[in-house]
Amino acid sequence: MPPEAGGLTRRLSELVGGEHLLGGPAAAGFAVDGSTPLLVVRPGTQQEVEAVVAACAVVGAAIGPRGGGTAVGLGNPPARLDVVVCLDRLTRIVEFDPANLVVSAEAGVRLADLQRVLAAEREFLPLDPPRMDRRTVGGVIASNASGPSRLLYGTARDLVLGLRVVLPSGERVRCGGKVIKNVSGYDMNKVFIGSLGTLGIITEATFKLLPAPAGRATVAGVFADLPRAAAVVTRALESFLLPEGMELLDPQALAAVAPGLGLEGSGGYGLAVAVAGSQETVERQARDFTQLLSEGTAIRTNRLGPEASLAAWRGIRDLPDRLLGSEGVAVKIGVPISRTAPFLASAEDLARRHGWRVAIAAHAGSGVVRAVYAAGAAAPEVVRDGVEALRREAEAAEGSLVVEAAPAALKRHLDAWGKTGEGFAVMRRLKAEFDPRGLMNPGRFLGGI
Amino acid sequence: MPHTLTAELQQIVGKTNVLDAAVNLQLYSYDAYLEERRPDAVVFVHSTDEVARIVRACNRHGVPFVPRGGGTNLSGGTIPVKGGVVIEMIRMNRILEVDLPNLRARVQPGLFNLELGNALAPLGYQYLPDPASQKAATLGGNVAENSGGPHCFKYGVTTNHVLGLTVVLPDGEVARIGGKAPDTPGYDLTGAFVGSEGTLGICTEVVVRIVRLAEGVKTLLAIYDRIEAGSETVSAIVSAGMVPATLEMMDQLVIQAVEESIHCGLPLDCATVLIIEVDGLRDDLERQAREIADLCRAHGAREVRVAKDDAERAALWAGRRGAFGAVARITPSYLVCDGTVPRTALPAVLKKVAEVGRKYDLRIPNVFHAGDGNLHPLILFDWRNKEQKARVMQAGMEILQTCVAAGGTISGEHGVGIEKMDAMRLVFGEPEIEVQRKLKRAFDPKDLANPGKMFPAPQEVRHAA
Repeated sequence: MPPEAGGLTRRLSELVGGEHLLGGPAAAGFAVDGSTPLLVVRPGTQQEVEAVVAACAVVGAAIGPRGGGTAVGLGNPPARLDVVVCLDRLTRIVEFDPANLVVSAEAGVRLADLQRVLAAEREFLPLDPPRMDRRTVGGVIASNASGPSRLLYGTARDLVLGLRVVLPSGERVRCGGKVIKNVSGYDMNKVFIGSLGTLGIITEATFKLLPAPAGRATVAGVFADLPRAAAVVTRALESFLLPEGMELLDPQALAAVAPGLGLEGSGGYGLAVAVAGSQETVERQARDFTQLLSEGTAIRTNRLGPEASLAAWRGIRDLPDRLLGSEGVAVKIGVPISRTAPFLASAEDLARRHGWRVAIAAHAGSGVVRAVYAAGAAAPEVVRDGVEALRREAEAAEGSLVVEAAPAALKRHLDAWGKTGEGFAVMRRLKAEFDPRGLMNPGRFLGGI
Repeated sequence: MPHTLTAELQQIVGKTNVLDAAVNLQLYSYDAYLEERRPDAVVFVHSTDEVARIVRACNRHGVPFVPRGGGTNLSGGTIPVKGGVVIEMIRMNRILEVDLPNLRARVQPGLFNLELGNALAPLGYQYLPDPASQKAATLGGNVAENSGGPHCFKYGVTTNHVLGLTVVLPDGEVARIGGKAPDTPGYDLTGAFVGSEGTLGICTEVVVRIVRLAEGVKTLLAIYDRIEAGSETVSAIVSAGMVPATLEMMDQLVIQAVEESIHCGLPLDCATVLIIEVDGLRDDLERQAREIADLCRAHGAREVRVAKDDAERAALWAGRRGAFGAVARITPSYLVCDGTVPRTALPAVLKKVAEVGRKYDLRIPNVFHAGDGNLHPLILFDWRNKEQKARVMQAGMEILQTCVAAGGTISGEHGVGIEKMDAMRLVFGEPEIEVQRKLKRAFDPKDLANPGKMFPAPQEVRHAA
């Protein structure tokens, strides 16, 4: 650009008010992978987002959208970053319709705040990504973040009924609606979910909700080795049981959450199972899972009631993010369900071979393994080669490995997403259709999109 | 269509698999909607490779193509409105893999939905989406239409259960998108493709989620003398924090038609019945069934029956699944409307549907997915009566307008096709339609995949006076 050339600073200041526009050193805190934006703008309404994006389009400024900043490490370093558009002032819950189990909220609403409002009507949004205290509605959709309970409830693609999106031109459009079945035209919601701000800025979302479960419990156990813990998962998946989440934990991850699970002081692998529903089914599932764990030769088991469960699962889902220091590397492996435990082992092997520290938590039953590495003083090339070897293994198993966070120096060597796959030509055309000038989060997404 | 293309098609699949005689083309000129247009050729395909070669040939000649499965769709999705080649998928009907440890199955698109269910049930597993037409509707068609069915309230629609596809893109390239693993990096092309009505390409393999059969199920029939009481019960059940697998309604005209053809023991003198099913772990099903029965009675049900065994349950479902067919016996033709509204709007919208029937002097029985707020008013008429058909179209449009005004939309599960192209403007402005065109162009820049569907005609440019 530079922005002054087009009078962008003045224009944005007029649009949102000077107090909601940051530049210079104040913008440094909004750096993305080492790129500091020239300006940070905090629009207060969806209309202001439209105007801000339109103003950026006029001068060709590259935009990086931002919600709670919890997923700012996701993606490749930006090819360009001129203006960070912060959605944190869009905090309106637009419409909560408890009778129809539907809520519409603006992009900047934090998930924890939203859940509190829903809980007052004994409903909830069944999405539990890490850091709900900071993660926003827009962010969770743009990054397609999820948590352990995706096992029972699915992910954003199963729960988003409608979106409002500001396109790169500044025009705001609606996709979907607020009904639970909708085939009026293409399912455009899917195009935006997980698109990491590369097609536009989500300013509002409508979700399908569920009634809050009457009961809840957690059954957790410690196992001498991973195969024993994994065998319990297999048996559970073959049964009629319907757990909300099943988390496999390596010894470091277990140690970090053991106090919450009431399993302090025991080394080994952990398996925590969340059950939720009516009192009768919670009781039955807790009983059956306790038995499954015992039959699976758990060294110790423990059962938690509803309150302790909520706290324990907050600890479990936030685990990788909590352990990730500024030099840590977080990866998410997605593989077919039955390969979850083997890939937990592979992720562990990588650390063992190099003498790195690692903590691993896997959404067993969903095929998701999240590992956080502390590689110490290892050279970036060594870390890259190690992660890429693990990625090749995942890709050979029809899966993927995504780098969710890494130091900027490493990211210059290590692609965040891996291979582009067979539909990539369509993806590139899709990007060109929506954002022909490449102004929305350029360079951060798959294959340089 | 150029003769050289016909020769190419014959070369790819063999002469016997290309139909171009007038009588055959006539058979492929219609589906379960009300329009007709003959294709120039029909091609039976047996593999991804054949589909890719045919699409490449069509692309080279600039000839449109339309994939077709069971042809059960109700919005004209398989009618080749621009001519060209109909690609008949019905012989690609194999289950390629049932992968129990990964809870996935890989199937070809010509497989009937019910056949997949029948193959999985003995193993103790199921594929959840079960459109009422499941006997004759194919999985590929389900993908194209993002089909629903009576169990969507709890279990979602096709898109929630399709995790990967092999697609032949409109340029003939083959792409595997999504798959058995979760969260494939990049845009969710699988999600975009499901429900695209054949306009983005042809799927030749489908990876679906399978789950264990429920441990227990309870099916109830609630009988009402007032239709409003039925729809009020639906809201009451949901407000009570219950998530039944099924909340289906049929009104008196439908019940009478069903009883005439299937004899499943429904009372002929009631205003409406609700079929309610709860499933899952068996521990709380008795209590749920009891509480639901109490709610039904509290909201005016004159009788609540609980299916005692599988045979009674099957009879109730035979009635519901056979409803469209049964209605077909009492009228030469009918138009199925497919609006969806927020559940609480149902009583008011149903009243309005009845008013529309009176206004246009048409009989409109209702059978629908009440839990989803998905109405299916069936407007009865005689296709030979042109004047009546015009009234039917107007009445259908007015019902859709009512749904949209109530916060709903123009199609819950039957798609836009050719039927609802103009109705798209009831829910979307030009920018929103243009966004959808972007998706279309990204997949199909030459507009050869099922052209002339889904999108309304461009708005006329208004010149300043």
